[in-house]
Amino acid sequence: MDIDVTVTIGGAAGQGIQTVGDLLASVCHRAGLYLMVINDFESRIRGGHSFMQLRISDEPVVAADDKIHLLVALNRETFDIHAGELAEGGRILMEEDGAGGSDEALHVVDVKFTNLAEKAGGKIMTNTVAAGAALEMLGAPAELVVKVIESHFGGKSKSVLENNLKAIQMGRDAVANTDFDWHFKWPDRKPAGKMLSGARALALGALAADCRVASFYPMSPATEILVYLAGFMDRFPLVVEQAEDEIAAINMAIGASFGGVRAMTATSGGGFSLMVEGLGLAGITETPVVVINAQRPGPATGLPTRTAQGDLFFVIHAAQDEFPRFVFAPRTLDEAFETMIRSFHLAEKYQVPVIVLVDQYFNDSLSITREKWSVPEKIERFLVSDADMPDPSSYKRFAYSESGVSPRAVPGAGRARVMVTGNDHTEEGHLSETIADRNGQVDKRHKKMLKMAEEMNGPDILFGDSRLLLVTWGSTDGVVREAVNRLRKEKHDVGAVFFSDIWPFPTAPAMDALSGCEGFLTVELNASSQLGGLIRRHTGLQADGAIVQYDGRPMKPGHVVARTKQYMEGGQ
Amino acid sequence: MTDVSLYHNDFENKWCPGCGNFGVLNAVKSALAHMDIPPEKVLLISGIGQAAKTPHFLNCNFFHGLHGRALPVATGARLANHDLPILVHMGDGDCYGEGGNHLLAAMRRNIDVTLLIHDNRVYGLTKGQASPTAEYGFSTKAQPFGALSDPLKPIPLALSQGVGFIARGYCGETDHLSRLIQKAIAYPGFSMIDILQVCVSYNPVNTYEYYNERVYLLDETKHRADDWHGAMDLSLQGEDRIPIGLIYQKQTIPFTKRIKTLEHGPLFHRSFDPAAVQAVLDDL
Repeated sequence: MDIDVTVTIGGAAGQGIQTVGDLLASVCHRAGLYLMVINDFESRIRGGHSFMQLRISDEPVVAADDKIHLLVALNRETFDIHAGELAEGGRILMEEDGAGGSDEALHVVDVKFTNLAEKAGGKIMTNTVAAGAALEMLGAPAELVVKVIESHFGGKSKSVLENNLKAIQMGRDAVANTDFDWHFKWPDRKPAGKMLSGARALALGALAADCRVASFYPMSPATEILVYLAGFMDRFPLVVEQAEDEIAAINMAIGASFGGVRAMTATSGGGFSLMVEGLGLAGITETPVVVINAQRPGPATGLPTRTAQGDLFFVIHAAQDEFPRFVFAPRTLDEAFETMIRSFHLAEKYQVPVIVLVDQYFNDSLSITREKWSVPEKIERFLVSDADMPDPSSYKRFAYSESGVSPRAVPGAGRARVMVTGNDHTEEGHLSETIADRNGQVDKRHKKMLKMAEEMNGPDILFGDSRLLLVTWGSTDGVVREAVNRLRKEKHDVGAVFFSDIWPFPTAPAMDALSGCEGFLTVELNASSQLGGLIRRHTGLQADGAIVQYDGRPMKPGHVVARTKQYMEGGQ
Repeated sequence: MTDVSLYHNDFENKWCPGCGNFGVLNAVKSALAHMDIPPEKVLLISGIGQAAKTPHFLNCNFFHGLHGRALPVATGARLANHDLPILVHMGDGDCYGEGGNHLLAAMRRNIDVTLLIHDNRVYGLTKGQASPTAEYGFSTKAQPFGALSDPLKPIPLALSQGVGFIARGYCGETDHLSRLIQKAIAYPGFSMIDILQVCVSYNPVNTYEYYNERVYLLDETKHRADDWHGAMDLSLQGEDRIPIGLIYQKQTIPFTKRIKTLEHGPLFHRSFDPAAVQAVLDDL
């Protein structure tokens, strides 16, 4: 990497950190650079401390960095919290009055954000001034900066645009010719890919999968997925409906799916808890439905705006008794898009619920897509109609079959009557308490697991023949990938194994991936190493240790490197 | 008129002999036959309870789901296919207790389904506890010293929330109930019939004799169905005399008519346009 700069913008909620971050990100994206932007905020509308961290590079970046090169401190608190993370040679943009007499004050570049904003036309443009100063520090080309401002504020009144152009210039002038080790020569390339949040990638995947009903109850960090999807209601056969609660959300999705269209819901752990009975209903009625659980820490309310991977066991086992389901934990934007298409497909192919497990870090972070996204030409629905039946009037929704999958017809679509119940039932779909029906239907549902297991991809492997392997899942992928690369640069024989297909657990490929190494450590954002437990349960292989973190913050590569070295040196 | 026997099925009925649900079941079959809605062109959705078993006892499409959750399922099914008539069967515990929030939301959405509440003021499936419509003091094994809460009043509740079709039926007046159900199905929007239903096993108070002595037909009074205040007065009166019939009706905009994309036909019948989605992706 020729370019690898981390910029952190911090301040109180309501100060416009998002605007500064968005402007910086847009400029970098348009110049053809790669980006990883993480959002760290508290559960409040005003005040507190929030920050956005952008890692900018000429090559794909998959994780946030440990050090900050340029800190944009919109208030004193940002300086206090983040000045210690400054890399050697790093600089801090802030109003000097706030810096006090500390050592880090030496790195401060005094920019009178507020005064300049007032001169440009109003205090509200403090964030635009800050963005201008930051972009100038990085050496961003003036024409590009102007273009981004024009498109960002183009929809507003003419005076708003003009004032912001003034503000951005004032910010640039304020730091002109300031020494900065990470001032770089900007490429002039086409954007490397689409710049998106994880939440939007999931929504676009649902759209591409022909999802037609999406119901949800707002809950961080899942809300953005269906809020974004709702914007497409006017152009597609799609209804996004805010339900009265999560129980309604999943039951609505089930009703829509029963009614003949692809349907989904999205929530976080607390909402998922409320959906659990509905999940079981989808299980016993064999109704396809896709449920996204965007994880956050804590039972009950926990840390609403922060990240975690603590729901792995929960979603695998959620609801009483047993029934087949899929669980996928996509790791990247590209994989999230594909996972949604695949989830809707598999939900209908096997008539089961599919859970897509992501997290706040994934949903709220922005990065650049790597692959071209294509929409499936045809959606296979796995439905039957009268024409497929010798006698539609004797149609049996839960007929026994070799694969366990019964013919699925849609009510009202033909002469076949579709009868479904959440009680144990006959092949026709009527209530039954006989041993034969109970055992027959349980066996029928479980038979599906055989073919479902064959659909699962094994883990992705990086330097798989290494002595030590780091094993992780979901969005922690990027951090571990970067940690492995750093460790290998220091000649450590370390590789990694990344799971995104979680359930049915891909036992054989997991065995293959893990039986050759001398040892492996799991890396997860939960306290008990749930993936480690799952691996042990299915393969008998016991991890030699676990790097876990449960403070609600995203993991950093430096932490993984340090903990891995500690293990290799015999500590733990 | 369709032959009513088309709706009969041979699935063993699981209600107690003399159960008020039989009257409701017969009224539903008769209504569908009068409206010439064939069994395969109607969808019954129900929650959990003796009332919620109704769909099993006639020929139709059905989704017999979870306790309290029939209305969200019905909302989803309605969105998928707004051409298919939907009847929702719930008991008083199912609808007014477990599913209370969904009832409020269904009223606000004005989803175009017909909600039939088999209101027997007692829990049957779980063997005789007080329900949300049980009178204060109603004594059961679970409430040995009498129910402590006041009963929920469904009709004034629906009136206060602007529901456009509100009626009360009685399981002992099957033909009358059938006519109400027909009107409710024909109504564009959320239609709700609270049905006085007798539980012969667990409610010794609200018996056939109790209702036969008290009910009278609204059709034979001066009440006009467009008179909201009159409807409110009627529904807040005590139980010395109980009016049955269409209590209130007004024109409303049904939920599916509020959603622009549904103007192009039911979602289920629409085709997938991969090029349009690809264009969205390419424009990002």
